[in-house]
Amino acid sequence: MNIVIQNLKKRFGEKVAVNIDSFKINSGEILGLVGNNGAGKSTLFRLILDLIKADDGTVHMMDNTRDINVAETEEWKDWTGAYVDDSFLIDYLTPDEYFQFIARISGKEPEELQQFLDKFEHFMADEILGQKKFIRNLSAGNKQKVGIMAAMLLQPQILILDEPFNFLDPSSQSAIKHLLKKYNEETNATILVSSHNLQHTVDICPRIALLEHGVIIRDIDNSNGQAQRELEDYFEIND
Amino acid sequence: MNKYQLYKLLRKNESLKEKRHPMFEKNRFMKFLLIFFWLYYAAILLFMGVTMAIGMKGAYNGVAAFHVLDGWFLVVLMIDFWIRFILQDTPVNQAKPYTLLPIRRSFLMNVYLIRSGFSIGNLYWGFMLVPFGLIAIAVPFGWITFIGWLLGWWLLCIANGFCYLFVRTLLTKHMAWLLLPIVVHGAIIAAMFVPDHSWLDMPCTILLNGFANWNVLYILAVLAFVAFLYYANFLLQNSMVYNEISKEEEVKVKNTAKMSFLNRYGRIGEYMKLEVRMKTRNKTPKMQFAMGIGFMLFFSVIMYFTDVYDNGFMKSFICLYSYIFLGVTTLIGIMCHEGNYIDGLMSRRESIYQLLRAKYYFNSMLLIIPPIILMPLMIIGKMSVWMNLGYLFFTAGVLYPILFQLAVYNKDTFPLNQKLTGKQGNATQQIISMVILFLPIGFEKLATVSLGDPWGYILLMCLGIIGVATHKIWIKNIYQRFMLRRHINMEGFRASRNS
Repeated sequence: MNIVIQNLKKRFGEKVAVNIDSFKINSGEILGLVGNNGAGKSTLFRLILDLIKADDGTVHMMDNTRDINVAETEEWKDWTGAYVDDSFLIDYLTPDEYFQFIARISGKEPEELQQFLDKFEHFMADEILGQKKFIRNLSAGNKQKVGIMAAMLLQPQILILDEPFNFLDPSSQSAIKHLLKKYNEETNATILVSSHNLQHTVDICPRIALLEHGVIIRDIDNSNGQAQRELEDYFEIND
Repeated sequence: MNKYQLYKLLRKNESLKEKRHPMFEKNRFMKFLLIFFWLYYAAILLFMGVTMAIGMKGAYNGVAAFHVLDGWFLVVLMIDFWIRFILQDTPVNQAKPYTLLPIRRSFLMNVYLIRSGFSIGNLYWGFMLVPFGLIAIAVPFGWITFIGWLLGWWLLCIANGFCYLFVRTLLTKHMAWLLLPIVVHGAIIAAMFVPDHSWLDMPCTILLNGFANWNVLYILAVLAFVAFLYYANFLLQNSMVYNEISKEEEVKVKNTAKMSFLNRYGRIGEYMKLEVRMKTRNKTPKMQFAMGIGFMLFFSVIMYFTDVYDNGFMKSFICLYSYIFLGVTTLIGIMCHEGNYIDGLMSRRESIYQLLRAKYYFNSMLLIIPPIILMPLMIIGKMSVWMNLGYLFFTAGVLYPILFQLAVYNKDTFPLNQKLTGKQGNATQQIISMVILFLPIGFEKLATVSLGDPWGYILLMCLGIIGVATHKIWIKNIYQRFMLRRHINMEGFRASRNS
């Protein structure tokens, strides 16, 4: 499933949050989105997910048979999974209940849910399921894991994760990188990931978009990991 | 910075907090409506003050009008107490942002308790008392008497405010503390209305008469009572402040009922489970539910054991409000609790439609509670079965559709599990509340007067059944209108989530 952005603009007062003339994310691609604080990464994700209204322009999700403007229909929600922040979580549920809820409203059978949870057993590290804790009582890292898993539970063709490495311990960060890569290989899903962690972004994203003041200023080919130096130069983190 | 400068800074911050609330900042119309309602209720109190002063003049065998009103001051204070749940914040919550700053906690508590005592809210009853006193006291008895009498009322309102703060803070420990005001107020009402002559009438009158006569003993006694309540609040609020910050709570979930009987209803069943869990696992909805049940029990017990509410209007009033109370308190803020996780809901297809239907079924099922509570009144013949049926269906089929309209317009997130405060309703919610509170009584009177007793209620029932039968249509319509406004609403929910 491709994502096609055309003339997309969003302002908050005088500040331009997003201003993208044209950008296409190809089906099966893992795109990394990087930029400084306030560059517009989360806003762009929210625009793609129709959670905020664009001042101008469109976001289309399309393949050979479908071409859907996300602002005009809800059909795309059937194949899109996302986790942007904890406003995606229903925090008075336990993780077990939350996964069951998402699974049932998505038409998944209990066996499918169990198979899905089995795949994430290592990632959850015995701290999420069966704990009899509400999500609101989980640590920030475990909340993050629940959110990421809930987004992937649908087995979406488009997966959008905002700062997925935040709050996670090093082993969980490594685990989520592997899970995302594997998921992409197995399903050919289009994955969008934003992060401030350049190393992780370079590790998993063959293509990286650099955002500055809402504008994609560089579209970097990272098929051989060559984006590292360019990004370090941009963020001025070289010695 | 000395203490006075610090006090001024805290006062300024409180003022900015109100002015910069996202809902008010963006909406001039809402500001206008809030001022309008503030003035509207003030005008009602003013009107009551004037008419009571004139109406009571010489109506009670030579007893001064203000003595008659004073006999009811406990009733006024009880109303005042419950209204504070909607309007008044607690010092703990106000002090929360400053607790990690180098400001003495005791200073913060004193500032907010004093501000609470001297708040303009404690003068609001003055809209009724001043015109009443001017006519009934100042003219016949002189200004000194009038001012002394007003001082008495004001001090009692302050004491009442401190009682409220005490109870509200205790509620953070356990919901059962709600029983404290219910029992106390129940006892007061029983002492006033169960005996042939109220036991409290005379003591109340004597107390305020003491103020009117500037009797130092009475004044000192009430001042000592206010000081005692102040100190009790100070100790309690001080001890609670860290609990509030740390948000300590039992982390092990007790209630993990699977509610598998709802599985057969598919997605709707899942959203119904969500609704049940939301109501049972969060302090704010639990408190609303407990207050609703308390309201119903309170009035049905009074009506069962006394003849205070035996006239036709009060029967209709109590019956109707028993049916709508739960709906009004929860549905007036429909979607506001969901504002906490609106992004998650909105990223699922048609989730809002399913959620609205689940909410409708859940609230309709709750309508089984009022007839159970009112059953004894139906058995002893104080309330007709037709009236109950009429209001039951009218609530489910007419009033709920009106309340559900708010799902289109509500865009202010209410905290789900905040321990002490809930957010206030906005102007649209207040207007719908007014419609819900006044429309049915007027309609019922019109129907029963023009068609006769059972037929009027049968008409209400039929209208209700039409609404129930067409619920999928009107809920779909609400959902479609919600989707047209979704960006505005989501922006509002996000902006107010942590404000």
